[in-house]
Amino acid sequence: MNKAKLPIEKHRIQRGPNCSKVRIGAVPLLIAWFAVFPAPAHAYIAAGDRVFPGTLILPQIAPTDETYIQGATPFSGTPLVAPAFRGTDAIGIFGKTLTEGLGIRLREVYSRVDRAGASSRYGWQNLTATAQYMAVLDGPHEFLFSVGVDRQFGGTGAGRVQRRGFSGLGATTPSIYFGKGLGDLDIGYLRPLAISGTFGYLIGDKSPRPDLLMPGFAIEYSIPYLVSKVRALDLPDLIRALTPITELFLMTPAGQAHGVTTTALIAPGVSYAGEGWQFGIEAMIPMTRATGRGLGVTAQFHLSLDYLFPNSIGRPLFSPP
Amino acid sequence: MRNCVMRRRTAVTVIAAVALGFFSIRTARTTTQQSGTVVALSGQCFAEAGGWRRALRIGDPIYVGDTVDVPTDAKLQLRMGDGSVISLASGSRMTIHTFEIGTRGQQRDARLTLATGLLRAVVSPVSQPSIFEVDCAAGKAAVGSTDWFMEAQPGSVRVGVLTGSVILTSLATGRSVTIPARWGARLEAGLDPVAARLWSAEEFADVIGRTDVR
Repeated sequence: MNKAKLPIEKHRIQRGPNCSKVRIGAVPLLIAWFAVFPAPAHAYIAAGDRVFPGTLILPQIAPTDETYIQGATPFSGTPLVAPAFRGTDAIGIFGKTLTEGLGIRLREVYSRVDRAGASSRYGWQNLTATAQYMAVLDGPHEFLFSVGVDRQFGGTGAGRVQRRGFSGLGATTPSIYFGKGLGDLDIGYLRPLAISGTFGYLIGDKSPRPDLLMPGFAIEYSIPYLVSKVRALDLPDLIRALTPITELFLMTPAGQAHGVTTTALIAPGVSYAGEGWQFGIEAMIPMTRATGRGLGVTAQFHLSLDYLFPNSIGRPLFSPP
Repeated sequence: MRNCVMRRRTAVTVIAAVALGFFSIRTARTTTQQSGTVVALSGQCFAEAGGWRRALRIGDPIYVGDTVDVPTDAKLQLRMGDGSVISLASGSRMTIHTFEIGTRGQQRDARLTLATGLLRAVVSPVSQPSIFEVDCAAGKAAVGSTDWFMEAQPGSVRVGVLTGSVILTSLATGRSVTIPARWGARLEAGLDPVAARLWSAEEFADVIGRTDVR
């Protein structure tokens, strides 16, 4: 295909039936999800005998001492049509508890942006910090509820890898989080099911960064819970440690959209739990055209510092002796 | 006259038999291996062995084979031969199956059973590889040098660790979970151990309070 014709192809796409909704968001083949939007984080949190394993898309539902690395990239073979871009992110997160219920988390993302007909760009995204407080922890009912606020510090990243117009603009996101296991219900083999979720409201510092509503849910079926709380089954070791999980994350503008449209991402995958570590991998499937095209994959390796170093770095900064 | 002599002989025989039996028991008891000593208690606690039940006082020895009974509203603390301290909460029953200490205290083989109730064990360090195991109906816990709690309930057991680490193993499935300091885990009979989790300060305060003998 002649590269000179590519803009015309894009123009045709935008003239489709949904062209009014598909503007900025329709162009990317796969959004650099983690670079542009608030913190994905891993949850290694327990409520009673329920451990909420790693989520790779949704924010963490409670503070903990942890660190992990995560990567997210489109599957190979995804076509790249100008002026679309393809983002690949390497993410590092460090979480620290201040007290048992209060913690902070820092996140940095290093992005590679592939562009059709141009060289790739590399750089850091804006630094993000989160403060989170677990307000309710009900072990017998496997329920927890947290509140938090997430702050993206504008101007701390490289503008060349940020969404156009977003460079230098920060955002603040107050959020609520919850997790609920179904183990306290008399539902037999469905007891390993759990649901966790979040609801955030991103407030952009100023135009053109729009405010966003950001609900998300994850549903999981914990095989470790099955064999430790429901029924002794003769399963291979690999299976015994797996938790199939599916996450759904939506973002929709609230108020002035500035060209941003509703996006939705569904991510089915599995999490493997070791002692003090977890590995998770999920497919990323865009559910709207504005979210992107093509499939992606994200993988995460997580260390629980409170398990591995319980008397030093894994201990809350302010805790009783 | 003849009846009188017979009565005297019978009485002497009975007294001799009782005395012989008493000293035989004493001899047997003193040759049984002592595993620890009562260092604190509140309420009335007992030790049972061979069908005998004796009330415990501070300073009394505890032997291998004894089952220690701590009734409701009582608490008991033992100092074992290796320096470890075991505290038992109200409503606990614990049996000492083995408590062997090598020369100079460098080795240890301690195997206990917690039938019911809650214990706190501050296990002393030893220089050589050692065994310190507590089992119950659902599973067993193996420790090194650590400060930890074990509560045996009908059909389950839970373990919490203050310092060190404990390996909790299911007797039914043979699968284990390692519990580090500040963490705890549960095990239900016939199943794998539940994944370990952080214990809250309130959870530790509860088991500390219940095993605190003051």
